[in-house]
Amino acid sequence: MKRLGSLALALALAFLPLAARADLNALTEAAKKEGELTWYVAHYTSEGAEDLGRGFTEMYGIKVNVVRTTAQVAYQRLLQDLKNNQTICDVFSSTDLGHYARLKAEGRLDKYVPENTPKISEAFRNFDSDGYFHTTAAGLVVLTYNTAKVKPEDAPKKWEDLLDIKWKGKVSTGHPGFSGYVGTWVLSMKKLYGWQYFDKLEKNKPQIGRSINDTVTALNAGERQVAAGSDGSTLFSAARGNPLAVSYPSDGSVLIISPSAIMKGTKHPNAAKLFMEYLYSIEASKINAKHFGIPLRPEVPSPPGAKPISEIKVIRPTVTEVEKGIPEVIEQWRDTFGN
Amino acid sequence: MSKLVLKNVAKRYGAFEAVADFSLELAQGEFVSLLGPSGCGKTTTLRMIAGFMPPSGGTIEMDGKQISSASGVVPPEHRRMSMIFQSYAIWPNMTVGENVGFGLQIRKLSRAEIDRRVDKILDVVQMRNLKGRYPAELSGGQQQRVALARAIVVEPEVLLLDEPLSNLDANLREEMRFEIRRLHDEFRITTVYVTHDQSEAMVTSDRIVVMNKGKIEQIDAPHVLYGRPKSRFVAGFIGRTNFVEGALQGSDVRFDGFGAPASALEGASGGGKLLYSLRPQAIGLSTQKPGGSGLAIEAEIVDRSYLGEYWDYQVRPQGGTKPLRVSTAPTAVFEVGSRVWLEIAPSAMVRVE
Amino acid sequence: MSVTAPAIDAIPVRAVRTSRFDPSWLLWIAIIAVLLFLVVSPFVYLVITSFQTERTGDFTLSNYATAYGRARYVEALFNSLKLGAVSALLAGVFAVPLAWAVARTNMPGRGLTRMLVLATFITPPYTGAVAWILLAGPNAGWLNRFYMMATGAEAGPFNIYSFTGLAVVIALYSFPYIFIFTTAALELVSSEMEDAANILGAGPWRTMRKVTLPLALPAILGGMIICFLEAIALFGSPAMIAIPARFNVVTTQLFQFFGNPVRVEVAAAYAMPLLGVTILLVLVQRLIVRRKGFVALTGKGGERRPILLGRWRWVVFGYAMFVAALAVFLPYIFLIQSAFAKAWGRGFALDNITWANFHFILFEHATAAQSVINSFVYGGISATVAVFLTLGVAYIVARRLIPFGGVLGFLCVAPFVIPGVVLAIGFYAAYAPPPLALYGTALIMILAFTTRFLPVGYVNASAAINSLNPEMEEAVRVLGGSRLTALRRVVAPLLKRNMMGAWLLIFIPATRELSAAIFLYGPNTKVASVMIFDMSEEGNFERLAALALVLQVLTLPLLWIGQKALGRDFMLRRNVT
Repeated sequence: MKRLGSLALALALAFLPLAARADLNALTEAAKKEGELTWYVAHYTSEGAEDLGRGFTEMYGIKVNVVRTTAQVAYQRLLQDLKNNQTICDVFSSTDLGHYARLKAEGRLDKYVPENTPKISEAFRNFDSDGYFHTTAAGLVVLTYNTAKVKPEDAPKKWEDLLDIKWKGKVSTGHPGFSGYVGTWVLSMKKLYGWQYFDKLEKNKPQIGRSINDTVTALNAGERQVAAGSDGSTLFSAARGNPLAVSYPSDGSVLIISPSAIMKGTKHPNAAKLFMEYLYSIEASKINAKHFGIPLRPEVPSPPGAKPISEIKVIRPTVTEVEKGIPEVIEQWRDTFGN
Repeated sequence: MSKLVLKNVAKRYGAFEAVADFSLELAQGEFVSLLGPSGCGKTTTLRMIAGFMPPSGGTIEMDGKQISSASGVVPPEHRRMSMIFQSYAIWPNMTVGENVGFGLQIRKLSRAEIDRRVDKILDVVQMRNLKGRYPAELSGGQQQRVALARAIVVEPEVLLLDEPLSNLDANLREEMRFEIRRLHDEFRITTVYVTHDQSEAMVTSDRIVVMNKGKIEQIDAPHVLYGRPKSRFVAGFIGRTNFVEGALQGSDVRFDGFGAPASALEGASGGGKLLYSLRPQAIGLSTQKPGGSGLAIEAEIVDRSYLGEYWDYQVRPQGGTKPLRVSTAPTAVFEVGSRVWLEIAPSAMVRVE
Repeated sequence: MSVTAPAIDAIPVRAVRTSRFDPSWLLWIAIIAVLLFLVVSPFVYLVITSFQTERTGDFTLSNYATAYGRARYVEALFNSLKLGAVSALLAGVFAVPLAWAVARTNMPGRGLTRMLVLATFITPPYTGAVAWILLAGPNAGWLNRFYMMATGAEAGPFNIYSFTGLAVVIALYSFPYIFIFTTAALELVSSEMEDAANILGAGPWRTMRKVTLPLALPAILGGMIICFLEAIALFGSPAMIAIPARFNVVTTQLFQFFGNPVRVEVAAAYAMPLLGVTILLVLVQRLIVRRKGFVALTGKGGERRPILLGRWRWVVFGYAMFVAALAVFLPYIFLIQSAFAKAWGRGFALDNITWANFHFILFEHATAAQSVINSFVYGGISATVAVFLTLGVAYIVARRLIPFGGVLGFLCVAPFVIPGVVLAIGFYAAYAPPPLALYGTALIMILAFTTRFLPVGYVNASAAINSLNPEMEEAVRVLGGSRLTALRRVVAPLLKRNMMGAWLLIFIPATRELSAAIFLYGPNTKVASVMIFDMSEEGNFERLAALALVLQVLTLPLLWIGQKALGRDFMLRRNVT
């Protein structure tokens, strides 16, 4: 089966480029007529999302309403939209895989496989075998720290180091009830060390923000010294001169695959499809790399300071684990941390 | 020894003199009114006596001890005085009993003693049955009685009243005047009473201080003030009057439409104009030429008004230009246009400045 | 007996119809319909929804079971009550001395103090909360940094992320309510009330304790109740501070019920205690304020002179400036620093200054600038609708044009007892789903804002109408004009200034509203307050500060207009609440 798939893909690669280009031109024309699209996005930082939206507008003259928020809030909005029979969102980009599993099961997604799929790094291709949602961003949850307050040799090396009493009052995290990154990280920690991990973490009185990017602010300000943060936003901030560094934990950086999907019943189907193609373009990858995300296109080099993904030990929960696990850990988290 | 002595008291606000050179002595138990139009400085004087404001100059003494001067003031709470305010200042958050008992409480009397005295004074002002009420449920007159009781119950050295009746309606005002005098006769508290209403001052006071533009015009007993006003202001402010202006011509003084022998008139000397005050009640009116010792002047009724208690006639002496006001009994009826005789006793004409 | 027509030119007057159809009735009916739509229906939906099963709509009690089924949820209720009580007490400590000093003493800088209270009043609580995160973050907050610098200590004493921190921040931005109530009451206490106690032997302190304070007490308590209600209904500050401080209050819990999955029914059930407490306390407040024996008598001669404080005036002034420093000076200094900083934590360095944050929110960010425009447009429409609607109702009630007109007046002030969050849930339940399907539209935001601020409009309108002598309209009607003509030609022109004042009193808070907006906005109807809240989610304080400042600066010309037309402290009068 798998072999057959690769064979088909090879054939497609051999014969399709010309046809695909023609299709893309037609798609672009149709999309331009629709003129705009709305993008609920929890990937990237605000700047990254805004930059990507602007890049698309510059390329095609199609306006993108970027609604950047945390994964759970984006999903909450989407659910309210659906509950009220409104289709406002055209492309939905969450960092919580569980959202897609549920939306797909309820028939809320439009099936579309971007023509550009073959051009992205193989590791990110065909995330959903049915073609409803596709990897459009990837990032890591790693250990991060403030270099002005913590020497590299003192920095935590593995996840359990965060439980050390010396970090009491000095740890920062996001909130799984808001952030998909944080939810996935919590799930992974639970899988590795059981919920006791968080019972112990609670004793270290972490400062809990909402987005995973909150940890960047907390470290920058010196409010906290170490964190479970995202590599992209941390390195981006470090590149701007802030005293930040990442430490890849020996027990595994948590890899977050963040997909995007087109909503069923979208009022801008062509623009949405074109946008999916765009997210797989070299331009989008460059913007992504600029904001220290992992570029999907192999032609675009990794952001400076980031270890290539091949050199990092990564861990990652499965889609099924995420779907069931995240709502569960949100409740557990609230019981443990008070809200 | 005088109870309260004000010596050359002054109050200045920048260049404005609210009170100037005010001197007054009150005997123990005396009731003195400060009377004058609004803005004449009477309330300012009262507030200086109370200690709410320091004088800009002069001193105030009580029982021989200085209590106010420009350099220092014994605060109101240590003066053993009490005061009744224009707005009554009854505390709405306390009952009648609590209001009246407040000063006694401050004086640390026993509960029982406070009750006894409060009941007694409430009996005096006929408010005993309303002891437990809140002021919001009382009428204006009742609030006034509470204010009186509250001020008197502490047996103050000096009682100060600041236009206490100005918020009451006419009938009640009249009743309360007598009430205030009655309470004074009963308790003999040295009292300073501020008012702009002359009849209030006349009913209540032993002496009246008439003030105008911050200065004392005249201090005298009510009947003296009325009968022998010293200034045009006093004559005009206390009761109604006719001002007649004349000039010496030989041995007579010539007025508008009539004349009088200078020897019969007080202060008829000098070359300038001579101003006299002549009360409307002091002029007789008849159809026949009067035969008494007074001046008899032929005149004509120009206008008249009937006011129930008396007739108010405008009568123009023959050959004169301005009419004089004359009051007569309600039974003395003259038609407009009729010719009449005026009778004026020269001694009733008071020379004013 | 024959009657000759009077010898004046007959001007044709509309045909005489007695007690037939009066067209003004149409207007009254329309107003009733609108009020039912705005006030009654969301409320009814809220209650019904709380008893409904999701999707099927069958009757159930399970929503209540869910809403109160977890210790954490019930705890949030108690946290809210505690938060309300502590905030209200603190607000009293801030407000009462200031009110007394401004209304009754010769403290220097009374005008300045009033201005600073106004500045506090127009600072949205969430902006204040953000500023205080910058000030009192446990490690990086400026106050802690200064403390550590000064003492060499390892840690600073302040922690905004705590119950106390939240209570202080809420109190700092709600104390103007108590200030307004208390100054209004103190200004009614004539100096003679105090003089009377003085002359009977009570010194200044005893006079204050026995006379002045008791007279102002109902007002103080009334103001504190308003602060309590404000504190328990607030969403923004708790969301920003209580989440990192790791406790929950009713409003943040309600927001979670709106989360994943959306449980409007449970939210409705969970909102009931908030509603109940509010209604109860508003009743208590009314009772206190009207209690017998606390009605200030205002006779003539109620002259008011300032109490001379002597050297104490500087002490009192110091306290006023201390409160102002906490509420205005410090927060704004560091908001401005942040707004112009590349990274706020780096402090006041020249190389840390940039315009980029303003540039970003105004020109680069896809929705920030639009959100400010949305705020102003929605606020403007809501204020206009509310002003005309309440004017109509106040007129009907004052002139007794229809039987039971008082009911209309009641409906206009009723939203006062509905916290913004609860109102939003009611609107969501009533109008978000089909048939009206207003979800995510600008209309639902405008309607909700209008309803929220109806009480402000009504209180103003009825005060204005009651000050008009009805004979002026009767004169119009005697000359043959209809009631509507009288309204248009006489009443409306006379009330122009009043209406403008009411408009500003609604518009300014409406541009800052968050508690209702956060439940009702859609992606295309985001308002500035929601935008600021979203930015706080990412800890993006530099840009957030820039946006918050833009919102404040845009308000200034409006304040200026209001003060020109309506007097210096038009925002701080009693009718604000």
